[in-house]
Amino acid sequence: MNKIITFWKKGDSYILLTAGGLLFSLAMVIFMISIILIKGFGSFYVSDVAEIKMKDNTIYLAEILEKEEVVLQSESGKSYKQEQTNIKIANRDIFDQDFKWINSQEISKIEYPQNVTVFERWEYGNLIAYVRNLNYNGKVYLTSDKDFWDTFSRAFEKSEENKSEKENLEEELNDVLSPVSEIQREIALMEINFSWKTKEIEKLKQEEGTLQAEINFQIEQLNKKIEQKVIENSEIYAIVQSGDGTEITLELEKVYRFCRPNDMNFIAKSGLYLTKIWEYLVEDPRESNTEGGVFPAIFGTVMMVILMSIAVVPFGVLAALYLNEYAKQGFVTRLIRLAIANLAGVPSIVYGIFGLGFFIYFLGGTIDQLLFSSKLPEPTFGTGGILWASLTLALLTLPVVVVATEEGILAVPKANKDGALALGATKWQMIRKIVLPNAMPGILTGVILAISRGAGEVAPLMITGVVKLAPTLPFDTSFPFLHLDRKFMHLGFHIYDVGFQSPNVEASLPMVYTTALLLIFIVITLNLSAIFLRNYLRKKFKTSAF
Amino acid sequence: MKINVQNSISASFTTDLSKEKIILETKNVDLCYVPQVRTLTNVSIQIPEKKVTAFIGPSGCGKSTLLRCFNRMNDLIPGISIKGLITIDGIDIYSPETKLEELRKKVGMVFQKSNPFPMGIWENVAFGPKVNGIREKAELDEMVESALIQADLWKEVKDRLNNSALDLSGGQQQRLCIARALANKPEIILMDEPASALDPISTNKIEETIDELRENYTIIIVTHNMQQAARVSDYTAFMMIGEMIEFNATSKLFTNPEKKLTEDYITGRFG
Repeated sequence: MNKIITFWKKGDSYILLTAGGLLFSLAMVIFMISIILIKGFGSFYVSDVAEIKMKDNTIYLAEILEKEEVVLQSESGKSYKQEQTNIKIANRDIFDQDFKWINSQEISKIEYPQNVTVFERWEYGNLIAYVRNLNYNGKVYLTSDKDFWDTFSRAFEKSEENKSEKENLEEELNDVLSPVSEIQREIALMEINFSWKTKEIEKLKQEEGTLQAEINFQIEQLNKKIEQKVIENSEIYAIVQSGDGTEITLELEKVYRFCRPNDMNFIAKSGLYLTKIWEYLVEDPRESNTEGGVFPAIFGTVMMVILMSIAVVPFGVLAALYLNEYAKQGFVTRLIRLAIANLAGVPSIVYGIFGLGFFIYFLGGTIDQLLFSSKLPEPTFGTGGILWASLTLALLTLPVVVVATEEGILAVPKANKDGALALGATKWQMIRKIVLPNAMPGILTGVILAISRGAGEVAPLMITGVVKLAPTLPFDTSFPFLHLDRKFMHLGFHIYDVGFQSPNVEASLPMVYTTALLLIFIVITLNLSAIFLRNYLRKKFKTSAF
Repeated sequence: MKINVQNSISASFTTDLSKEKIILETKNVDLCYVPQVRTLTNVSIQIPEKKVTAFIGPSGCGKSTLLRCFNRMNDLIPGISIKGLITIDGIDIYSPETKLEELRKKVGMVFQKSNPFPMGIWENVAFGPKVNGIREKAELDEMVESALIQADLWKEVKDRLNNSALDLSGGQQQRLCIARALANKPEIILMDEPASALDPISTNKIEETIDELRENYTIIIVTHNMQQAARVSDYTAFMMIGEMIEFNATSKLFTNPEKKLTEDYITGRFG
């Protein structure tokens, strides 16, 4: 009996218990990170394409993904186990779906033919097929021809060139048309608001007529050129045959990239792997975000975090300074501190609603009426945008910054503060030269926490300015460069949108993992840079060792 | 033993200051940190110019509190109340016309625990002149050098003025704090047990520094160490429970005290 009591008293068991707690937490985190890492990095890998022959003679050209045992029920009501294989058959436009589960026992043969080609298309996902021939320059090339794939690449490049030229021409056409459409808008506005000014409306209409006449010729020319490009590209196409024997005519301008994975060696595959990662980071999304890159979302996330920090840090630091250095300590300051601590626990969607009501409808609406009334009823600031989203998040993270700054300020030795005052420094000089530099590590801790919280927040953003696809970045080369009123994309929302709102959830799953990985990576990077800055400052302002 | 303080209140002492010019004077100073609880009671003292005056007394007797009245560091404490008159050069330092920053520039202070700022040595010494509006580098350089020389630190640090002040030893840090106070060119330097946290050799150094400074500055030093008071000071004030018991020339106070309480304290019968 005594022994048992001593055992519990000594507390060896608690060492195990506490260690177990730590181990469990670590294991969970490592498990999560590794799943995201494996799935995230794995999704760029170019896997081989198998030709799967079934016992009933159906043939699939597909990537083999995973095997799983499922319990099925036979007609007689008996349940039995069956191994199924998930394959990516692609060719969504033909088969209606990208993925298929097939019975593993039914497979009779699996081969990896060299000449299978995987086309990544601008629309409808991948196409896996055998190339039969190529129509280019009015000639038909067969796969048996010498240098067929070189010709194919040339044809592909030509079609891409035509396409970009066509896009340039269309842009030019838009530029030519824009003065006319502006006048038309003006006329429409006049007719609604000042319908009695018939003379002026008449004048505008005349102007419109002359402009139209002036540019008519130009428009005709441009349209002709565009049409020519379209015709040219429609004559560059390949006939391909999918696994089930369907022949498809594939215009090369619809292709984003093609490769023959079974014919590629490791180096070529690695090169493509890296290219895909690079594209993922720097390109715009395609196919309702399930393909292509996430650059706008990265840009939006980082920019929003920076704007948020710019907004939250000065306010948080000033508030904490007043609360600690100037305010008379007592019931009111205690109450304020309590309120701030509680604000940190308010659900983020509540902040989102507040942002919508106060920032967007009230502030934004007022700004629109005062400064952008000519554009009304089309809102400029009276709708969600990166400014309002950043400010909402700044509000959300304000308590964190205030609390951390307060801790930083409290950590400044009183002896140093007294020393500065005793040398004839005013209170503000003392704060600026002693308190602020010494509290900097604490302030940066607040910034780190704010970034961590702000970068991962999605709910309040959904109602204050995030969209699934923003046509323009909030920062570009057109005046005034920084467009705070623009809507933006965000990695957190991207994950939600791609993973749960996309029409083809299974195809977009890799995108979810990679985006999650990227979001974690960005948050860690932002945090690490703040941590390094803090450690540097800590070393600089290490407190007196006596 | 039991000390009858009640008797000592009415009793007065005689101090011969006829040869000295008085720079600082307090008249009937009462101080309460908490309402109704007096920390200083009816303290009146005259501090002679360009002499070293030591405040001694047991812990909690109010000597540090009194010292901090002279540069109004006590103002920072919420709820404090001070009555009576404190004048420097005949001017009431608690009058509304007195500028706090000017006063603190004139009355420098060295704290018990050395408190160099976490910046370079040069920056530390130049802090006072800088906040008092001196911008020119050459002028600042000159002030820093002269302050460091007066504090006996120049030789040790002249080659590493930009190094962090926190890398100095404890004694050097305290001398840096003295230099920092000197850079403001004060008239009075208040020292609140400047050597209590230092080893004997560093203490000795500080005392030497004080000895060199006495020609040009009025120094008021609070100390626990009676030998130190005897060594460095010209005048010594003995305080107890917030009252000025005796103030006299150091030689007289330590050899022939007027009060029995003083004698008991300096002979080590209590305290």
